Amino acid sequence: MEEPNVTASAILSFADKLEDDSSKFYGKLAERYADDKETFLSFVEESRKNKVLVIRTYQETITDALEACFIKGLNLNDYLVETTLTEGMRYPDALKIAIKLEEKAGKFYSDAAETSKSLLATIPSAFRKVAERRNSRRLMLKSLLDKAVGPALK
Amino acid sequence: MAILEEPIKEILTIRNYVGGEWVESKGEIVDVVNPATCKVIAKVPISTKDEINAAVEAAKEAFPDWRKTPPVARERCLFRLKEMMEERFEELSRIQTIEHGKTIDESRGETRRGIENVEVGTGITSLMMGYILEDIAAGIDEYVIRQPLGVFGIIGPFNFPFMVPLWFAPYAVATGNCIIVKPSSEDPISQAKIAEMTEEAGFPPGVWNTVNGGRTVVSGMLDHPGIKGICFVGSTPVARDVIYKRCGETGKRVIAQGGAKNFLLVMPDADLEKTIAACMTSFYGNTGQRCLSGANLLIVGEGLNEQEYNAFYKKVVNAFIDAASKIRVGYGLDESVQMGPLRDKSKKERVTGFIEKGIDEGAKLRLDGRKVKLVGNWPHTCFLNPTAFEDVAPDMSIGSEEIFGPVASIMRARNMDEAIEIIHGNPFGNAASIFTSSGKLAREFQYRVQGGNIGINIGIVAPMAFFPFSGMKESFFGILHGQGQEAVRFFTESKVVIQRWF
Repeated sequence: MEEPNVTASAILSFADKLEDDSSKFYGKLAERYADDKETFLSFVEESRKNKVLVIRTYQETITDALEACFIKGLNLNDYLVETTLTEGMRYPDALKIAIKLEEKAGKFYSDAAETSKSLLATIPSAFRKVAERRNSRRLMLKSLLDKAVGPALK
Repeated sequence: MAILEEPIKEILTIRNYVGGEWVESKGEIVDVVNPATCKVIAKVPISTKDEINAAVEAAKEAFPDWRKTPPVARERCLFRLKEMMEERFEELSRIQTIEHGKTIDESRGETRRGIENVEVGTGITSLMMGYILEDIAAGIDEYVIRQPLGVFGIIGPFNFPFMVPLWFAPYAVATGNCIIVKPSSEDPISQAKIAEMTEEAGFPPGVWNTVNGGRTVVSGMLDHPGIKGICFVGSTPVARDVIYKRCGETGKRVIAQGGAKNFLLVMPDADLEKTIAACMTSFYGNTGQRCLSGANLLIVGEGLNEQEYNAFYKKVVNAFIDAASKIRVGYGLDESVQMGPLRDKSKKERVTGFIEKGIDEGAKLRLDGRKVKLVGNWPHTCFLNPTAFEDVAPDMSIGSEEIFGPVASIMRARNMDEAIEIIHGNPFGNAASIFTSSGKLAREFQYRVQGGNIGINIGIVAPMAFFPFSGMKESFFGILHGQGQEAVRFFTESKVVIQRWF
């Protein structure tokens, strides 16, 4: 199958929404699961920073992205995750959704870094940085899950 | 894919900004139309001669004090302007899309390029410095001071409503001059927004004025003895026969940038995938309404025999057509769209006229953009899809004249010499690019081609703000160019002082 063309703007909007949705999601986790509230609130703050970094990088380098034409190989639908927290959802189930979200988000940023590597170095570098942060979150969430249910029950 | 929110909800009434006041015009009021939706988004006045004269008087009055304002203080106004532009980056970009038609990515690129000129202008304390040499004779020193001249007129084109006036304006005011900007009446909103910001940024009344209109305003600027120089970007006939000529007659400084017919050469050793990607933005970016757009794609058979050349030609043409046919056309605020409409219906008709001429003259139409296919349900009034001809001869209308639309003319050249001969046979000399992995060929191209902006594996040879925007032959009339150091020289007089103290 042929690789899709995606505009830089579409990637930016996707990242923007991803960080906003992540903030909302972790905000809700912080409200529901008080034991790890501080961790979730730190994710909310980090998502705000991620958004600032991505938007600033885009706005400062858009001319280079235009010269290099459209970005190939990113199908944004591949990175969508359902993050609805149902009423009375158990903490481990909520953590599993969070881990899934971080996996997809990390993959999106890694792929975005890969597909933009021929552009100005600041562009893939920003994507890589956010991918690393998302990966760290994923590991942290896994350890929370281990703590919550024990490794054998995952 | 979502369509981004339009930045203007109600029809905007645009006024002139003169002497620090928002002034109603007595002139005719015309509509500003979003070319994608065909909806009226603003009303703009076609100002009168008295109104441009009043603006010149306001600028003249502001000049003595502005000139005396320390360069570092003038710089601070530009720093504040830059900050405001950054804060309103998205709004300013979306305005360009609705008033011009370009895609949101293209608009954001234009906003960035405009801001970069303001940034370079903030370095005026260094850029404007003179120089000194002691002891040129016994006890005598000599030095040069750069002084502002007074009032300048800046006449903007429709294709880059935000950026082009900023090739000149920041340098003019940073060096202590006062300006009158006349935006294109087709898309004047961006400059109205900039005027709003200059007010907030602390430019004193009369330093930065905006007068909307058409020929009357331009003639008023050209005739007025109080205007020391004109910066113009537009078509070659106007640049050459009106602006340059009249500035010569009235003793004004002039930067007059005209049209273009830019050649892109593809050599057999080019990286084809990257070349085609660069060609797409070059030929079809901004819907081909760019003086740096690719117009003629020259496929060069340097070092190939006939059979090899034919195979290479076919491979490039097919790759080009394949990529161009996939470009998604629609409303620029739709993020899935890669090419917007032309600025208006008459511009579309002009382009379709060229397509018909191309067919009549015997070129082979490989991709017919008249068969409009859009993303979304928009009126077809101003839209065309990417178009490409092959077997175009350099003397055909589509091979020699500026089309200013999304039309590619693909040509053959057996070798580099023939390619350069074809380029030199064209009257324009704005930009030319070569795609190759040979340093030798690239250097030869750069050395020999009579073009102001040369690209080596570059599709859009757009000089950064700290380099001059060059141009040659029928593409440029004047000596110094816009942007960077050359703009600083254009807007200042070099005064020489030789001093001795007894």
